[in-house]
Amino acid sequence: MAGYFREVARRLFSQELRDSDLTSRDESDQYAPQYLLTPTGARVNRVFLVGTLIEKENIGTDTEYWRGRVSDPTGAFLVYAGQYQPEAAQFLAECELPAFVAVVGKASTYTTDEGNVLTSIRAESIQPVDAQTRDLWVLDTAKQTLDRIKELEKAGPENPASNPNAKLAKEHYAADMKEYRSLVQKALESLKENI
Amino acid sequence: MKQMAESIKDRFFKLGVDVPVEDIENRLSELITKFKVPDNEAQRSVVNYFLKKYSIPKNEFYARQAEPHLSKVTDISEDGQWTDVKVKVIQLWEKTHESIAQVGLVGDETGIIKFTKWQNAELPELEQGESYHLRNVLISEYNGRFQIQLNSSSSIEKLDEEVEVGGGDFTPGEMGSELRNIGELAQDNQWVTVRGKIVQLWENSHESIEQVGLIGDETGVVKFTNWASAELPDMEEGKCYLLSNAVVKEWNDRYSLQLNRASSIEELDEEIEVGTFTSSYSGAMVDIQTGSGLIKRCPECKRALVKGACAEHGKVKGEYDLRIKAVLDNGISTQDALINRELTEKAVGLSLDDAIAMAAEALDPGVVLDKLKQKLIGRYYTVSGPKVERYVLVDSIVQDSELDRALLEDLIAEPEVE
Repeated sequence: MAGYFREVARRLFSQELRDSDLTSRDESDQYAPQYLLTPTGARVNRVFLVGTLIEKENIGTDTEYWRGRVSDPTGAFLVYAGQYQPEAAQFLAECELPAFVAVVGKASTYTTDEGNVLTSIRAESIQPVDAQTRDLWVLDTAKQTLDRIKELEKAGPENPASNPNAKLAKEHYAADMKEYRSLVQKALESLKENI
Repeated sequence: MKQMAESIKDRFFKLGVDVPVEDIENRLSELITKFKVPDNEAQRSVVNYFLKKYSIPKNEFYARQAEPHLSKVTDISEDGQWTDVKVKVIQLWEKTHESIAQVGLVGDETGIIKFTKWQNAELPELEQGESYHLRNVLISEYNGRFQIQLNSSSSIEKLDEEVEVGGGDFTPGEMGSELRNIGELAQDNQWVTVRGKIVQLWENSHESIEQVGLIGDETGVVKFTNWASAELPDMEEGKCYLLSNAVVKEWNDRYSLQLNRASSIEELDEEIEVGTFTSSYSGAMVDIQTGSGLIKRCPECKRALVKGACAEHGKVKGEYDLRIKAVLDNGISTQDALINRELTEKAVGLSLDDAIAMAAEALDPGVVLDKLKQKLIGRYYTVSGPKVERYVLVDSIVQDSELDRALLEDLIAEPEVE
């Protein structure tokens, strides 16, 4: 039997999430999870991120619906929490700004009338953490992003055994991996300054 | 449906009976359209009805209509097909129902297949290791797998020359099952022999179970179930045993060992070290699951209570405990971890008594869970301990607090790949 398995929480920088617009879902199963394929070839359902909560706003009309802005070395994530994420919403309602936070949530997308795809995180959990944890996350995310970049650079018709996600990402985005490498470098350099 | 009716009519016609096709079609249509019976079931039922009506013996009808020919095991591919096979009996299993006379595996040089010999077939006994020509057996399919059914129209002839068995991934060992390390059990329905120490005996959850618990060797620990029907001797906690011919079962990605009537238990004099096998995992704690925090346990069996009741002992006055069922995640995989009271107290800086006081003040044990989540989720940890089923039973948990500077330098120095 297939059974239940927990979606792994992927690591990616906010800039990469912002650049992503390819979603996929098994249409034959109404309960199938949605995945977002990113330019470096991460297949993302759940995300784990640590950053600085710099803004928050209750944008709900009838019920509370919170939007938070969590920055990382490359930009910022938009994190949402409403009545179906009561713990995360309560945290956003009560917390002080700015604060280091760890967010576990699901990547979601919204297509505007102009056809632009906006990405955000629907939070399952938001918890306060320390600066040390934030640095650990940056290093963790830098390493995993680099690993994906290397996979993607290997992918191609000349290498049929390559990772299918990497192949698909290469075809869809045709992104310049140099840009993502320099993104990662920027994040790493910021860590070095702190030490 | 017309076609179906015509073909049934043809088959009866060959036996010298002219059944009006409208009668057949009416019956079929009623079953299929009105009573939603699947086509093949409906056909079967209609055929049987007319066989009875015209007093035709079943085996005469089926024998003539198919004229089965000899098949190889790998060629068996059609549900409802009648055929002959020349096979060797590889293994006889314990029958699971009184209507079954014998069940097990047979094979030829091309493959292996399950067979079932029904009680009412009144056929001679098959012996393990002997070869037979099985005539007029029925092929049926269940869950994508084929099997052979021996029923009252089948016949068995013992062969003098042995049928060679090859192919398939099943190779029966000399003793029926091979000695395996517990940590390497990973194949559903595999027959194995293991030697290990009884780590834990659990309370029986059902009268059909004689004993249930954990057995371990140097490589790992696995749950075992000793069924009452197996009529095997009881085992004692802390003693070592050789379990022969047990079956590995997989459920929800977890493996367990089942002892049945074909199995045997032998007490060993040696001492087996368990738990030297520990697993270590590093990652961020991304979730703390329900059932964590301040819980109550049954004073008798230490099970966690659900709504104040123990699954075994009913309503009991529980004893307080602290524990965490955590999920760690390294971005590539996830790992469930069970953290006991002592380590929970240390990791969170909250004693059991404090937790009880907190819960009492808030009139809600949920505040303890919230506190644990607030203190632990989002941080990076390295846990280690023995791995049982999907959990690491944590006996050490360390928060990663130092940035790995060597890794940082390596990543920064990484050359650009063109």
